[in-house]
Order: sequence, then structure tokens, then C-alpha cells
Amino acid sequence: MARSEGDVAALGPTESLSRREPGPFDRLLSSVLRGERTWASHLLVAPTSAWLVVFLLAPILLILIMSFTARGPYGMLLWRFTTANYVRALTPAYLPILLRSLGYAGATTALCLLLGYPFAYALSFYFEERRGMLIILLMLPFWTSCLVAIYSWIIVLGREGLVNELLVHRFGLLSAPIQFLNRPATVIGGLVYFYLPFMVLPLYGSLEKVPHSYIEAAKDLGANPFQTFWRVTWPLSLPGVYAGSILTFIPCVGDFLTAEFLGGPRTYLLGNLIQNQFQMAQDWPFGSAMAMILVALLAGGLLLYQRLERQGVEAGRV
Amino acid sequence: MSAVTRRDFIRLALLAGAFGPAWAACSRGPRKRQVNFFNWSNYIAEETLPGFEKETGITVNYDMYSDEEEMFSKLKAGVQGYDLIVATDYMIPRLKTLSAIDPIPHDLLKNLGNIDPKFQNPDFDPGLQFTVPYLWGSTGIGYNKSKMPKPPSSWKDLWDERYAGKISALDNTRDDIGCALVMLGLPADAKEPAQLEAARDALLKQKKLVKHYSSSTYIDELVSGEIWLAQAWSGDVLQASRDNKQLDYVIPKEGSFIWVDSLCLIRGADHREESLQLIDYILRPEVGAQIANAKRFASPNGAATKLLDASLRQDPRVYPPPDIAKRLRFYPPLDPDTEELWNRTWQEVKVM
Repeated sequence: MARSEGDVAALGPTESLSRREPGPFDRLLSSVLRGERTWASHLLVAPTSAWLVVFLLAPILLILIMSFTARGPYGMLLWRFTTANYVRALTPAYLPILLRSLGYAGATTALCLLLGYPFAYALSFYFEERRGMLIILLMLPFWTSCLVAIYSWIIVLGREGLVNELLVHRFGLLSAPIQFLNRPATVIGGLVYFYLPFMVLPLYGSLEKVPHSYIEAAKDLGANPFQTFWRVTWPLSLPGVYAGSILTFIPCVGDFLTAEFLGGPRTYLLGNLIQNQFQMAQDWPFGSAMAMILVALLAGGLLLYQRLERQGVEAGRV
Repeated sequence: MSAVTRRDFIRLALLAGAFGPAWAACSRGPRKRQVNFFNWSNYIAEETLPGFEKETGITVNYDMYSDEEEMFSKLKAGVQGYDLIVATDYMIPRLKTLSAIDPIPHDLLKNLGNIDPKFQNPDFDPGLQFTVPYLWGSTGIGYNKSKMPKPPSSWKDLWDERYAGKISALDNTRDDIGCALVMLGLPADAKEPAQLEAARDALLKQKKLVKHYSSSTYIDELVSGEIWLAQAWSGDVLQASRDNKQLDYVIPKEGSFIWVDSLCLIRGADHREESLQLIDYILRPEVGAQIANAKRFASPNGAATKLLDASLRQDPRVYPPPDIAKRLRFYPPLDPDTEELWNRTWQEVKVM
């Protein structure tokens, strides 16, 4: 607060701008903007809070309640308390799909980190002039609907698609087309394609903040390039690594579009299962229970992240 | 590739269209003469709706689904704005129980008498109180003659390891569980957990060979040769066989299912009068024949029969002769508990 007053003072007295005494409204406004009124803080967050309550908390609460109801005839909800949905969700039949979903999300996160880190590094240390352009290029896929992007991939990777057309017919490198679609690797590739920016942006954010003077100091003190990276740059970029990994992993676990369109019978993921309960199987209570388990998993992940971040901050202070 | 893109765009349009009727229903202003019609994808002749629009001045907002349960869950979730839907026989009792559809006022339909007497009194809707039959067909095996050493004749051919990775199966509970039961020689309306476990184990065995489960894209892949044989709906394969002479369709020797898809009026539809006009238009012999000729499914419209292409009318794959017909049966009506057991069984296959 003292600092913000200092900033205002640095701008010079307000009188010099308006050449009049500040009225009661001016004084109120400036005290609100300087964060001196507690009620004002509530007022300022009210719209966002209302949004989150109505569109995030209320639906999650509804799903939580639904997960304890029973499925009635023709998929109607029976308002009778039961834990049967959770019991069913935790039977061994559903273990493979949970492990598969976590595995895909883990592999995607690892690949995103592997691909994203060098890119973010180059962005921070090499391309100062073209940085804006490169970030725009990275974000470009987001400007189209992800469905359009998925269909484009189908057209590119299909048996009669662009890649096979080139490899088999144009260049004659292969005698038969490769089957890309309906394979786990393609689903993971699709996930990497969609979530790479979620990894690169936080990485770039933390790499960009690494002071060049630290790196110069490391060099002056005789560290070779690898030591400089491993003992200075990498630890300082860890918050970005954590943030990027969490931001990639969480939506990946719940993703269903990629597996639905690029995958096959063996790439059925948790997101597909949940979506199927709401549509094909008409079992909303079970779908809700599965969704709550997913939410719990992801919330656990977030808590873990906060913990790691706090440790990171403490380690940074030492 | 062009076939793929065409269908893809249909599906994209479908997704975009999902919000269309709801939006249209919200808009105020002078009431437009229109019908919001929700049908299976690829299930009407190209010229049918334009013909109706031209004649009556009524606009038809056409929306499609490729999974009937998806249509049902939309209605159940309270998506409003549809006036007229197409639903399969086994779905009708559900829609009635949930009060989702209104009775059909027979006095307002001039052409209802055109329906073949065989379809006037179905088990799922005696006396056609709630439904007007639209098209009917069967579930069987579509295959590519040029790829197969010998044509399939049995459901067991969908379990043949020689065709691993070249097989597709429909993605819905009724057909997958039903046909597995038929293949195993179990009752087609099995209620016993042990019987359904047997069906599940069979389907899990098949899953290793299945390229994917699909109720709409399998046709393109059959045409392109990406898959060789598919659990399929009759008309879909027969339509595609016009472009690709290598495609054929067979009703397996163990028997299979036939179904009737019917037009239903959504309860309290905003455009009831216009919907009835559209139903009556579809009931005309020439329109019924137009749709059946284009989509290669059989028409329940008796008066339309003589207007059908001879090739369609005489096709045993469309109008099965008695020796094949006796192996066909409707999807069995399932009580709610059995239905849930079937659904669970199918989900257990999919999650593995």
C-alpha cells in the first residue's frame, strides 16, 4: 500500500492535472482503486464469483448429487441415495480405462515437455525480434475450432489421406498405406498437438524471467554450458515446468474428442466413458460418479502442484 | 477422400445444427411456418424436403443424429424446438413412457391408409396411435467382395482372425449385444446375467479384431477398402454399392434383426400443424417411393411399392423372401432392468 501511494505521488499532485480540489467522489474512487476499502474488494470480485458459482460450482454440485442417485427405467433419475455408482466405478472392470487415461495423459505431458522446452528456451534466449510472430504461430491452431482441426488430421492421416497419398502414390516409397488412425500413438500425437501451447507458454513465462546476469555469473565462475543450464537455468524454470505439466495433464485426462475421432476400440478413455454414460448408456448417475472421481483426481493433482510450487519458492529463497 | 469429406461436413453440420432448432425456438417475432425435423443422418432423399418446401411454403429445419440414444438423451435433457422426429421401434415405448411424444390425429392425415396393413398394427404401437412408419430395414453384414476369399454367411465371420483390423461393428447396445447373442445361439432377448456375460466375452474376443465401432463412418471405409466387412444396416451398404459394385450385403444364417423407423410428433410441438402436413406429404406414394429409392431401405408404404425401382422391389436383401424373413425378428422389447444390464454389458466391452 505504501508503494502504491508512492507511485501516485510520483505522478505528481492531482491538482496539477485538474486544477481543482478533489471532490468526495474522487477521494472515494482513489481509495477504492488503492485498495483501502474492504467492501470494495468484495464488490470487485462479485461478478467473477457469481459467474463461478452459477456456471462452475452449481453444475459440479449437481453432478455430485446425481452421482449418489440411482438410474431408473429408461435412464430417468431415481432420487434415492445410493453409493452403488462409486462401488461400480471402483470395480476392476474400470481399472484398465483409468490407467490408460492416466498413461495417455502422462505420455502427452512428457512429450509436450520434451518438445516444448527447447522451443520455449529458443523463444526466450534467441528470437527476440520474431518472438511475437512465433507465439502467434504457436497459438494459431487455437483460432480454429478443435473439431475442424481433428477432421483435418483425419484427412491428412487417413488411409487415402494426404500422407499416404504422397508416400505410396506420389513417391512410391511404400507399397501399402500406413494405418495411422485408430491407433494409440495417433491419439497421443493428437493430444500433443492440442496441448503443446499449454506447456510452452508457462515454460516461456518462467524462462524469460531467468536473469541473464545469473547465467553470465555462472560462466564467469567457470561453469560449462551444461552446468550452467543444469544448475542455473533449469532450476529457475521449474515453476514453468510444473505449471505447464499441470495445465497439460489435467485437460488431457478428461479429453474425449481426440480419442473419439482419431482413436479406435482400444483407445477408449475416461472422457469417452463419461460422455457415453450421458448419451448411449443413459446412465447419468454412473457417469456423474465417474466424473466426480476424475474431478477428485485432478483436484488432488492441483493440490500437489501447489505444494511443489511452495517448495520451489522456499528452495528459491534458500 | 471426397466421400470422407462429404460425410465429415455432414457431421460438422450436425454438431452446429444441434443448437439451431433450440435457437430458432427462442427467437420471437411473427410465427414462421416451419417444421423442425430431427432424423437419422443420411436418411431422406435429397429432393424430398425442397419439394415439400416449394409446394407448401413451409420451411423445414433439418437436423440429424447418428446415434439414436444421443437423440433420446437430447430429448430427455429437455432440448426444445424439435417438432418431428424419427425413432426406431424399441424406442417408442420409452418415448411414450416419458411423455415425449403426442398421439397422431389420424383424421388430419389423408394418406395414412397408404401404409401396408402389415405395418398398421405393430407390437410397439398398436393401431399406430403414436407413430407413422417411415422406412424399415435389417442389420446384417456389409462386405467388400474383392477383398474376401469367400463371402461371409455367418455372424462368426465377424470373429474371423483372418480379417483382423479389417472389421467394423456398429456402435450401439442393441445391435452388438443382440447379434452376439444370436451368434452364440442364445435367446435374442436374454435376461440372465450368465447369458450376457457370454455375450460380453464373445464381444471382447471380437474387439481384438475390430478396427473401430461406428454407426456412420463404416460405409466410407467399406467403400475405400479400409475395412472389408462390417456389421451394417441394409440400406447403408446398398446405397454405397451403387458407387462401388464390389460391396454386398448379407443377412447371416443365424438370423438377425429388422426394425421400423417411424415419424413421431414431439409433445406440445410448436409447429404441429406443419409437421402433420410434412407427415402427410411423406405418406404420398410417390414421396415414399422417392425416399426408399434413394436410401435403399424398404418402405412400409404399401401404395409406394409399385413406384419403387424394380431393382429395389425385387432385391431379396431389401425385401427378404420368406425363407430369409423367417430368420428375422424385431429388436426384442426389454424391461428396464434388462435394458440396464445390456447397457452395462456393452460398456464393459468398450472400456476394456
